[in-house]
Amino acid sequence: MNKQSTTALPRARTVVHPGPSGPVRINHMRADHGRHFRLSLPAGRTLHEGLVEALAREAVHSASMTLLGGDLESLRFCMALPDPSGRVLATYGAPVPLRGARLIFGNATLGRSASNTPLVHCHGAFCEADGAVRGGHILCDRSVVGRVPVTVLVTALDSFELRVAYDEETRMPLMRPEARAGHV
Amino acid sequence: MSEVHRIERGRMGRVAYARIGPNEDLMQGVEKLCVAQGFRHAFVRGALGSLIDACLERPDGACQVIRGPAIEVVSLAGEVRRQPDGSLRSALTGVVADTEGRVYGGPFVAGANTVCVTFEITLEEWLPADDNH
Repeated sequence: MNKQSTTALPRARTVVHPGPSGPVRINHMRADHGRHFRLSLPAGRTLHEGLVEALAREAVHSASMTLLGGDLESLRFCMALPDPSGRVLATYGAPVPLRGARLIFGNATLGRSASNTPLVHCHGAFCEADGAVRGGHILCDRSVVGRVPVTVLVTALDSFELRVAYDEETRMPLMRPEARAGHV
Repeated sequence: MSEVHRIERGRMGRVAYARIGPNEDLMQGVEKLCVAQGFRHAFVRGALGSLIDACLERPDGACQVIRGPAIEVVSLAGEVRRQPDGSLRSALTGVVADTEGRVYGGPFVAGANTVCVTFEITLEEWLPADDNH
Protein backbone atom coordinates (compact mmCIF):
# COMPACT_ATOMS: atom_id res chain seq x y z
CA MET A 1 0.00 0.00 0.00
CA ASN A 2 1.12 3.52 -0.71
CA LYS A 3 -0.95 5.00 2.10
CA GLN A 4 0.02 5.65 5.71
CA SER A 5 -1.27 7.90 8.51
CA THR A 6 0.63 9.84 11.11
CA THR A 7 -0.20 12.50 13.67
CA ALA A 8 3.17 14.22 13.17
CA LEU A 9 3.89 16.43 10.18
CA PRO A 10 5.84 14.15 7.85
CA ARG A 11 9.28 15.17 6.64
CA ALA A 12 8.99 16.10 2.95
CA ARG A 13 11.37 14.28 0.61
CA THR A 14 13.67 16.09 -1.81
CA VAL A 15 14.29 14.26 -5.07
CA VAL A 16 17.24 14.46 -7.44
CA HIS A 17 16.40 14.57 -11.14
CA PRO A 18 18.94 13.39 -13.73
CA GLY A 19 19.67 16.85 -15.17
CA PRO A 20 21.01 20.10 -13.70
CA SER A 21 18.69 22.01 -11.36
CA GLY A 22 18.16 25.50 -12.77
CA PRO A 23 18.02 28.64 -10.63
CA VAL A 24 14.42 29.57 -11.51
CA ARG A 25 12.03 27.33 -9.59
CA ILE A 26 8.77 29.11 -10.45
CA ASN A 27 8.23 30.32 -14.04
CA HIS A 28 5.29 32.67 -14.10
CA MET A 29 3.51 35.21 -16.28
CA ARG A 30 0.47 37.40 -15.91
CA ALA A 31 -2.42 38.62 -18.03
CA ASP A 32 -4.41 41.74 -17.15
CA HIS A 33 -7.58 39.67 -17.23
CA GLY A 34 -8.78 36.25 -18.30
CA ARG A 35 -11.43 35.69 -20.98
CA HIS A 36 -13.92 33.06 -19.86
CA PHE A 37 -15.90 30.54 -21.87
CA ARG A 38 -18.24 27.68 -21.07
CA LEU A 39 -17.93 24.75 -23.46
CA SER A 40 -20.13 21.74 -23.98
CA LEU A 41 -18.08 19.11 -25.78
CA PRO A 42 -20.08 16.98 -28.24
CA ALA A 43 -20.53 13.21 -28.19
CA GLY A 44 -18.47 11.11 -30.55
CA ARG A 45 -15.45 13.41 -30.67
CA THR A 46 -12.28 13.11 -28.62
CA LEU A 47 -11.72 15.50 -25.73
CA HIS A 48 -8.77 16.91 -27.69
CA GLU A 49 -10.85 17.59 -30.83
CA GLY A 50 -13.71 19.11 -28.87
CA LEU A 51 -11.51 21.45 -26.84
CA VAL A 52 -9.10 22.50 -29.58
CA GLU A 53 -11.76 23.10 -32.26
CA ALA A 54 -14.03 25.13 -29.98
CA LEU A 55 -11.22 27.31 -28.67
CA ALA A 56 -9.63 27.82 -32.09
CA ARG A 57 -12.93 29.43 -33.18
CA GLU A 58 -12.48 31.95 -30.34
CA ALA A 59 -8.79 32.50 -31.20
CA VAL A 60 -7.73 30.95 -27.88
CA HIS A 61 -4.37 29.19 -28.03
CA SER A 62 -3.44 29.08 -24.34
CA ALA A 63 -5.88 28.37 -21.54
CA SER A 64 -6.52 26.76 -18.18
CA MET A 65 -9.62 24.63 -18.07
CA THR A 66 -11.81 22.92 -15.51
CA LEU A 67 -13.73 19.87 -16.72
CA LEU A 68 -16.93 19.79 -14.72
CA GLY A 69 -18.37 16.42 -15.65
CA GLY A 70 -19.89 14.39 -18.46
CA ASP A 71 -19.69 10.89 -19.93
CA LEU A 72 -16.77 9.31 -21.70
CA GLU A 73 -17.65 6.57 -24.15
CA SER A 74 -14.01 5.52 -24.03
CA LEU A 75 -11.17 6.72 -21.84
CA ARG A 76 -7.45 6.05 -21.78
CA PHE A 77 -5.40 7.21 -18.84
CA CYS A 78 -1.92 6.70 -17.40
CA MET A 79 -0.45 6.69 -13.95
CA ALA A 80 2.91 8.17 -13.02
CA LEU A 81 5.46 5.57 -11.97
CA PRO A 82 9.14 5.53 -11.02
CA ASP A 83 11.17 4.94 -14.20
CA PRO A 84 12.84 1.53 -13.86
CA SER A 85 15.49 2.53 -16.40
CA GLY A 86 16.52 5.55 -14.30
CA ARG A 87 16.60 7.79 -17.37
CA VAL A 88 14.00 10.02 -15.72
CA LEU A 89 12.70 10.10 -12.14
CA ALA A 90 9.09 9.32 -12.99
CA THR A 91 7.39 8.34 -16.19
CA TYR A 92 3.93 7.38 -17.38
CA GLY A 93 2.95 3.72 -17.35
CA ALA A 94 1.11 1.99 -20.20
CA PRO A 95 -2.30 3.55 -21.01
CA VAL A 96 -5.24 1.88 -19.28
CA PRO A 97 -8.35 1.64 -21.50
CA LEU A 98 -11.84 2.03 -20.00
CA ARG A 99 -15.28 2.05 -21.59
CA GLY A 100 -18.30 3.87 -20.24
CA ALA A 101 -16.65 6.11 -17.64
CA ARG A 102 -18.18 9.17 -16.01
CA LEU A 103 -15.91 12.15 -15.56
CA ILE A 104 -16.06 13.56 -12.03
CA PHE A 105 -13.68 16.49 -12.30
CA GLY A 106 -10.64 17.40 -14.32
CA ASN A 107 -8.14 20.15 -14.97
CA ALA A 108 -6.53 20.73 -18.33
CA THR A 109 -4.08 23.13 -19.91
CA LEU A 110 -4.12 24.11 -23.58
CA GLY A 111 -0.81 25.14 -25.08
CA ARG A 112 1.39 24.44 -28.07
CA SER A 113 3.80 21.60 -28.68
CA ALA A 114 7.40 22.15 -29.70
CA SER A 115 6.23 21.62 -33.31
CA ASN A 116 3.56 24.32 -32.85
CA THR A 117 0.50 22.07 -32.82
CA PRO A 118 -2.21 22.42 -30.12
CA LEU A 119 -1.52 20.30 -27.06
CA VAL A 120 -3.80 19.53 -24.12
CA HIS A 121 -2.42 18.30 -20.78
CA CYS A 122 -5.22 16.86 -18.62
CA HIS A 123 -5.54 15.21 -15.22
CA GLY A 124 -8.86 14.01 -13.91
CA ALA A 125 -10.88 11.80 -11.62
CA PHE A 126 -13.55 9.53 -13.05
CA CYS A 127 -15.98 6.80 -12.12
CA GLU A 128 -15.79 3.44 -13.88
CA ALA A 129 -18.89 1.56 -15.06
CA ASP A 130 -18.89 -0.54 -11.85
CA GLY A 131 -18.72 2.57 -9.63
CA ALA A 132 -15.00 2.44 -8.79
CA VAL A 133 -13.37 5.87 -8.69
CA ARG A 134 -9.90 6.31 -10.18
CA GLY A 135 -7.77 9.15 -11.46
CA GLY A 136 -4.69 10.01 -13.45
CA HIS A 137 -3.28 11.56 -16.61
CA ILE A 138 -6.04 11.48 -19.24
CA LEU A 139 -5.00 10.97 -22.86
CA CYS A 140 -7.36 13.51 -24.44
CA ASP A 141 -6.69 12.45 -28.01
CA ARG A 142 -7.70 8.88 -27.15
CA SER A 143 -10.73 9.62 -24.96
CA VAL A 144 -14.12 10.02 -26.66
CA VAL A 145 -17.07 11.97 -25.24
CA GLY A 146 -20.19 9.89 -24.59
CA ARG A 147 -23.92 10.57 -24.36
CA VAL A 148 -23.70 13.31 -21.72
CA PRO A 149 -21.58 16.23 -23.01
CA VAL A 150 -18.44 17.20 -21.11
CA THR A 151 -18.84 20.70 -19.67
CA VAL A 152 -15.73 22.86 -19.45
CA LEU A 153 -14.99 26.24 -17.86
CA VAL A 154 -12.18 27.95 -19.76
CA THR A 155 -9.92 30.76 -18.58
CA ALA A 156 -8.11 31.98 -21.70
CA LEU A 157 -4.61 33.41 -21.33
CA ASP A 158 -4.23 35.93 -24.13
CA SER A 159 -1.19 38.06 -23.39
CA PHE A 160 1.32 35.21 -23.15
CA GLU A 161 1.43 31.67 -24.43
CA LEU A 162 1.98 28.22 -23.02
CA ARG A 163 4.43 26.07 -24.89
CA VAL A 164 5.98 22.66 -24.31
CA ALA A 165 9.76 22.58 -24.31
CA TYR A 166 12.36 20.04 -23.30
CA ASP A 167 13.28 20.50 -19.65
CA GLU A 168 16.94 19.73 -18.94
CA GLU A 169 16.47 19.03 -15.25
CA THR A 170 13.74 16.41 -15.56
CA ARG A 171 14.57 15.36 -19.15
CA MET A 172 10.89 15.66 -20.01
CA PRO A 173 8.86 17.90 -22.32
CA LEU A 174 7.06 20.34 -20.01
CA MET A 175 4.61 23.21 -20.44
CA ARG A 176 5.83 26.66 -19.46
CA PRO A 177 4.72 30.24 -20.07
CA GLU A 178 6.46 32.35 -22.72
CA ALA A 179 6.06 35.95 -23.85
CA ARG A 180 4.14 36.47 -27.08
CA ALA A 181 5.43 38.80 -29.74
CA GLY A 182 3.98 42.27 -29.14
CA HIS A 183 3.22 41.62 -25.48
CA VAL A 184 5.27 42.18 -22.34
CA MET B 1 -30.96 32.73 17.15
CA SER B 2 -29.70 35.10 14.52
CA GLU B 3 -28.17 33.90 11.28
CA VAL B 4 -25.15 35.70 9.92
CA HIS B 5 -24.22 35.49 6.28
CA ARG B 6 -20.72 36.76 5.67
CA ILE B 7 -20.73 38.03 2.12
CA GLU B 8 -17.67 39.56 0.54
CA ARG B 9 -18.39 41.51 -2.63
CA GLY B 10 -15.68 41.85 -5.20
CA ARG B 11 -14.55 41.11 -8.71
CA MET B 12 -11.92 39.12 -10.54
CA GLY B 13 -8.75 40.91 -11.60
CA ARG B 14 -5.56 39.70 -13.23
CA VAL B 15 -4.70 36.10 -14.10
CA ALA B 16 -1.35 34.43 -13.41
CA TYR B 17 -0.01 31.14 -14.67
CA ALA B 18 3.01 29.40 -13.18
CA ARG B 19 5.06 26.32 -13.71
CA ILE B 20 6.35 25.29 -10.29
CA GLY B 21 9.52 23.19 -10.43
CA PRO B 22 10.67 20.10 -8.54
CA ASN B 23 11.17 20.19 -4.76
CA GLU B 24 9.09 23.35 -4.26
CA ASP B 25 6.26 23.02 -1.75
CA LEU B 26 2.89 23.24 -3.50
CA MET B 27 1.19 25.56 -1.00
CA GLN B 28 4.14 27.86 -0.46
CA GLY B 29 4.76 27.85 -4.22
CA VAL B 30 1.25 29.18 -4.74
CA GLU B 31 1.84 31.82 -2.06
CA LYS B 32 5.19 32.80 -3.65
CA LEU B 33 3.41 33.17 -7.00
CA CYS B 34 1.03 35.67 -5.38
CA VAL B 35 3.94 37.56 -3.83
CA ALA B 36 5.73 37.70 -7.19
CA GLN B 37 2.62 38.92 -9.00
CA GLY B 38 1.39 41.29 -6.31
CA PHE B 39 -1.87 39.42 -5.66
CA ARG B 40 -3.30 39.90 -2.15
CA HIS B 41 -6.17 37.47 -2.66
CA ALA B 42 -6.64 34.87 -5.39
CA PHE B 43 -8.64 31.82 -6.38
CA VAL B 44 -7.25 28.73 -8.09
CA ARG B 45 -8.60 28.51 -11.66
CA GLY B 46 -6.74 25.45 -12.80
CA ALA B 47 -4.03 23.17 -11.53
CA LEU B 48 -2.39 19.91 -12.48
CA GLY B 49 0.89 18.27 -11.82
CA SER B 50 2.71 15.71 -9.73
CA LEU B 51 3.97 15.51 -6.16
CA ILE B 52 6.79 13.39 -4.75
CA ASP B 53 4.45 12.23 -1.95
CA ALA B 54 1.08 13.71 -1.10
CA CYS B 55 0.10 14.72 2.43
CA LEU B 56 -3.58 15.36 3.14
CA GLU B 57 -5.17 16.31 6.45
CA ARG B 58 -7.75 13.86 7.73
CA PRO B 59 -10.85 15.04 9.63
CA ASP B 60 -9.27 13.79 12.90
CA GLY B 61 -6.26 16.04 12.32
CA ALA B 62 -3.85 13.26 11.35
CA CYS B 63 -1.77 13.47 8.19
CA GLN B 64 -2.51 10.95 5.49
CA VAL B 65 0.63 10.37 3.45
CA ILE B 66 0.34 8.81 0.00
CA ARG B 67 3.77 7.65 -1.11
CA GLY B 68 5.08 8.25 -4.62
CA PRO B 69 6.87 9.17 -6.64
CA ALA B 70 4.88 10.30 -8.37
CA ILE B 71 1.45 11.24 -7.03
CA GLU B 72 -0.75 12.99 -9.60
CA VAL B 73 -3.00 15.85 -8.52
CA VAL B 74 -6.25 15.23 -10.39
CA SER B 75 -8.37 17.96 -8.80
CA LEU B 76 -7.50 21.12 -6.92
CA ALA B 77 -9.58 23.98 -5.57
CA GLY B 78 -8.63 26.72 -3.22
CA GLU B 79 -7.65 30.28 -2.54
CA VAL B 80 -4.95 32.53 -1.19
CA ARG B 81 -5.86 35.16 1.39
CA ARG B 82 -3.87 38.01 2.81
CA GLN B 83 -3.67 37.67 6.60
CA PRO B 84 -4.06 40.47 9.18
CA ASP B 85 -0.26 40.42 9.71
CA GLY B 86 0.28 40.99 5.98
CA SER B 87 1.41 37.47 5.18
CA LEU B 88 -0.27 35.35 2.51
CA ARG B 89 -1.84 32.00 3.27
CA SER B 90 -3.13 29.43 0.80
CA ALA B 91 -5.87 26.91 1.55
CA LEU B 92 -6.01 24.13 -1.01
CA THR B 93 -8.11 20.97 -1.14
CA GLY B 94 -8.07 18.33 -3.79
CA VAL B 95 -7.95 14.77 -5.00
CA VAL B 96 -4.76 12.88 -5.80
CA ALA B 97 -4.14 9.59 -7.60
CA ASP B 98 -1.39 7.18 -6.59
CA THR B 99 0.80 4.99 -8.77
CA GLU B 100 -2.06 2.45 -9.04
CA GLY B 101 -4.71 5.05 -9.96
CA ARG B 102 -6.35 4.91 -6.51
CA VAL B 103 -7.72 8.26 -5.37
CA TYR B 104 -7.57 10.12 -2.05
CA GLY B 105 -8.91 13.54 -1.12
CA GLY B 106 -8.64 16.26 1.47
CA PRO B 107 -6.89 19.51 2.38
CA PHE B 108 -3.21 19.67 1.41
CA VAL B 109 -0.84 20.11 4.35
CA ALA B 110 1.55 23.08 3.98
CA GLY B 111 5.20 22.10 3.84
CA ALA B 112 4.54 18.45 3.08
CA ASN B 113 3.53 18.38 -0.61
CA THR B 114 6.61 18.90 -2.73
CA VAL B 115 6.44 19.01 -6.51
CA CYS B 116 7.93 15.98 -8.25
CA VAL B 117 8.26 16.80 -11.99
CA THR B 118 6.16 19.89 -12.63
CA PHE B 119 3.08 21.67 -11.36
CA GLU B 120 0.99 23.99 -13.51
CA ILE B 121 -1.25 26.43 -11.70
CA THR B 122 -3.49 29.30 -12.78
CA LEU B 123 -4.65 31.87 -10.24
CA GLU B 124 -7.23 34.58 -10.75
CA GLU B 125 -6.85 37.64 -8.56
CA TRP B 126 -9.77 38.42 -6.25
CA LEU B 127 -10.36 42.11 -5.60
CA PRO B 128 -12.72 42.66 -2.67
CA ALA B 129 -14.87 45.79 -2.95
CA ASP B 130 -13.94 48.72 -0.71
CA ASP B 131 -17.33 48.75 1.02
CA ASN B 132 -17.02 45.28 2.59
CA HIS B 133 -16.07 46.67 5.99
